[in-house]
Amino acid sequence: MKDSELVDIVSRKLVPFILLFGCYLISHGHLSPGGGFQGGAVLAAGITLLCLSRGVKDTLRTFPMRRVSLSESAAFLMILAMGVIGLVLGRRFLGNFLPLGEPGQVPSAGFIFFLNLLIGLKVGTGISLVMFTLLREDE
Amino acid sequence: MKRTLASLALVLALGAVLLYGVRQIAPAPGALRDHFVHRGMEQTGSVNLVSSIYLGYRAFDTLGETVVLFLAVAGVMVLQAGKQ
Amino acid sequence: MAPYLILALFLLGIWGLVRKDNLIKKVIALNIVNSALIVLFVYMGSLSGSTAPILVERLHPGEGLRRLADIVDPLPQALMLTDIVIGICLTALALTLAARIYRRFGTLDIRRLEKAAAQDDGAPPPASPEGGSRPDDGQSGE
Repeated sequence: MKDSELVDIVSRKLVPFILLFGCYLISHGHLSPGGGFQGGAVLAAGITLLCLSRGVKDTLRTFPMRRVSLSESAAFLMILAMGVIGLVLGRRFLGNFLPLGEPGQVPSAGFIFFLNLLIGLKVGTGISLVMFTLLREDE
Repeated sequence: MKRTLASLALVLALGAVLLYGVRQIAPAPGALRDHFVHRGMEQTGSVNLVSSIYLGYRAFDTLGETVVLFLAVAGVMVLQAGKQ
Repeated sequence: MAPYLILALFLLGIWGLVRKDNLIKKVIALNIVNSALIVLFVYMGSLSGSTAPILVERLHPGEGLRRLADIVDPLPQALMLTDIVIGICLTALALTLAARIYRRFGTLDIRRLEKAAAQDDGAPPPASPEGGSRPDDGQSGE
């Protein structure tokens, strides 16, 4: 799918900002509209733009399939682990066990912040994997 | 042409039945909304009330939906639409 | 006015699901039905208020007065977030299955698929067409 050099160059300059915006949406999910799913979708959209403009083979050099797949599984397992830690420490399953900071700061709302990060990582890498599989062309 | 007319008749009949339900849409009782709005921030610490619901009060549904996403990604990778 | 438009969107999706013959168009119509339902839930939640469920008074104190009773119901919006992601998963799996069907039978038109599946006996898939000719994908049965 590498047939326009202009699209290739522009998207390579644009993708870091898209990924940065996705990380902003994920990390400020408890302060403004956003959160894990929205930020993860934006992350996956940035990686999909890279796939569409450069081809899946070139994108797999920056985001290797094995690493992306491992981070997706690791994020899922850590979500489960945080739930079990909540259970072990005396609250309910997936209950809050971190201190609630003062509301309005980024590291507040203890548990929700970390859950947002993990869900954002999981959704971003998951949808990127789907795009890698569907957009791959056989040589 | 006959297929188009038959589909149109089916869809319009469905629309007539659903119209009866759509006309009865009214605001829901506000007791639950009052609980989330007044107590949501001090119980979960998040300013975003929607996040406090799906990550605080109802985090189990979010866990289930994460499982569904995982299964979908695994299913797509197993089915491998690109390979022979 | 808005509920009737949502109903029209839903019926449009159902019509596309029933009338179109191409598998990909059916998947797109399913997506339209899903979107109509999501919008319907969020709309029904929005009837209880008029502003977004984010307590910005804590972030920027003194910026605009607003009664807490004016806030929209946040519960349907939280439930619909899950629904959107499940819609993505459904669409991804449906499109993958459609691609597999195309690779197996060579067509996406459901009329021809009905006949081909009736005679299916697990034989190896037909040889893939050359790069020059365009395979048929259900253009006739629109």
